Amino acid sequence: MSTYSYNEDALRNLKIEDTSILDRLVDFESARAAHLKKERGKIDKRMDLKEAIATFVDDGDVLSDAGFAYVRTSHQAYFEIMRQGKKDLQVIGAPNTNQSYMINYGTVRYSHNSYIGAEMRGTDRNYSRQLKNGKVGILSEWSHGGVALALKAAQLGAPGLFSKQMLGSDIIKYNPYVKVMQNPLRDDPDPVAFIPAIYPDITIIHAHAADKYGNAFIYGPVVNDTALAIATRKLIITAEEIIPESSFRHNGRKGVVIPFFYADAVVELPFGAVPGNMPGYYYWSRQWWEKTMRLASPDEERFIDHFNYWVMESKDQFDFVEKLGGAKWIAEARRQTKSAEGDNEDIDFSYKEYNINDDPGIYY
Amino acid sequence: MKQQGPANLLEMLTYIIAVQIRDHSIVYVGTGLPMVAAILARKTHAPNITLVYESGGQDPIPGDMPWSVGCPLTWRKSPVLMEMAYSFGQSFNGYVDMAFLGFAQIDMYGNVNTHQIGKDLLNPTVRLTGSGGNNDLSSLTENMVLVGLQTPERFPERVDFITSVGHLDGGNSRREAGLPGNGPIAVLSQWGVYDFEPASKRMRVKSLTPGVNFDIAQQSTGFELLRPEGEIPASPMIPDDILNILRSEVDPRGVFTTMPS
Repeated sequence: MSTYSYNEDALRNLKIEDTSILDRLVDFESARAAHLKKERGKIDKRMDLKEAIATFVDDGDVLSDAGFAYVRTSHQAYFEIMRQGKKDLQVIGAPNTNQSYMINYGTVRYSHNSYIGAEMRGTDRNYSRQLKNGKVGILSEWSHGGVALALKAAQLGAPGLFSKQMLGSDIIKYNPYVKVMQNPLRDDPDPVAFIPAIYPDITIIHAHAADKYGNAFIYGPVVNDTALAIATRKLIITAEEIIPESSFRHNGRKGVVIPFFYADAVVELPFGAVPGNMPGYYYWSRQWWEKTMRLASPDEERFIDHFNYWVMESKDQFDFVEKLGGAKWIAEARRQTKSAEGDNEDIDFSYKEYNINDDPGIYY
Repeated sequence: MKQQGPANLLEMLTYIIAVQIRDHSIVYVGTGLPMVAAILARKTHAPNITLVYESGGQDPIPGDMPWSVGCPLTWRKSPVLMEMAYSFGQSFNGYVDMAFLGFAQIDMYGNVNTHQIGKDLLNPTVRLTGSGGNNDLSSLTENMVLVGLQTPERFPERVDFITSVGHLDGGNSRREAGLPGNGPIAVLSQWGVYDFEPASKRMRVKSLTPGVNFDIAQQSTGFELLRPEGEIPASPMIPDDILNILRSEVDPRGVFTTMPS
């Protein structure tokens, strides 16, 4: 492992004494070594979710959140990580919304924060409580653009990038990795932020379709996922369906393809992004997120009961979909995402906000 | 919920945001009222704006109200759908004219806090979202407009955490920190429109909501507001026909423009 010169102010402000906990994220040599060891051949990498998580997620790994908070994120794979009792993960991502509920179970122990919460569903009172109770430690603070550039640097094969983001802000005082420097090409004072390339240990990307070798097709916002696929040491592709390789060669599809050689495992996982939004396939369950953020989050016991019911007591994504309302929920979620995307403009987009006194039984 | 009667404060604020938007400009919007206002502007005086969203959508065709910046309504039939790094690069390179964002706290120099209430990051009173794209847009965009409700707690002398630099310590300090662009040019609240005095870069009243005077605005602020020369103009009120468009076409269910009960 290489040695690093971290931002001293940030180490002091974050009270980090043993800096070895920070190294993995920026350790290019070990990432490259991991990439060089990956299978090159076109072999069938299919396995079930349980095996993929058991094999490729290790305690203490740096896990990246993928997709965009609740858009095309492999929630059901995260839930399986929780069920398998994995411990002490670090989470990075832009956003990193989904670390929160994993903290309560000890699955996640450390954050590299860029965005916590669920936008209009409210601030994340669970994360706030876990932080104050010492259940989660902050290793670095970032802006979305900072994380995006750090991943982009890795994708482009650069040790880092210079940018104008985060300068002058308090974020830099809580980021051991980002350093403010003078622009080397200019004589007049010109501060720039050096953002190093970052390398998560494990990334799980939920795709619309994949072949058995790991070619993966995505439609809708890609966000940071093409960069993540390249930067990460281990990559699990979960997909709504498995399709033949030939359909990648002769496709008229609109979207992005992640090539097969990055993938370590391919998991057929219909409804893998539930309770999030899978573009073209199903809209996110607004009422589920409302119940989670507004009703469960403020109270530790309610929060645990809620996630025990939805996650720990579900054996797979089909159990979860049944709890949301089964086939009726699927049909409505499909109508809604098609409406949102402009493929079906005639349906009513309205719904009732979640209310405990009027639990609908179907979480639209 | 169907709304009736005179405009509420959120609807007034939405209109004040919307009138800042010039036609034929590229506008970057965050979740909430800015999104409502941009869609209202497009349906009224600024039909030719291009909207940019953080999750990648550019120039979507209008539909129902997006519930988040990742919602399919932010990339509905978009000609292009870009990665996250792209839209921030677009701001830096001068292809975004104006960006609208919210805040939990804003100080006299337009610095924004979306991180926490309380000074200690490791043990805050309340931890909030953190930056998201807030810092990136404030750092890189030519003209920032900041939008939020005004109370003394939300307008403190110094924010608890500088998530996004506005004019930093005033004067030339934003530029000395290495940041491009004009920084914040306006702050919009339910009580008024504020700009920044050109030399000191301190927040100054530009116009006030009808019925609001300087003393009311000052009482809702945790620092000393600057007064413009002469009489303070009244902010424009939302005309009935535009209020009607807002209620019937832009946010018909009042998702963002219903006052919390």
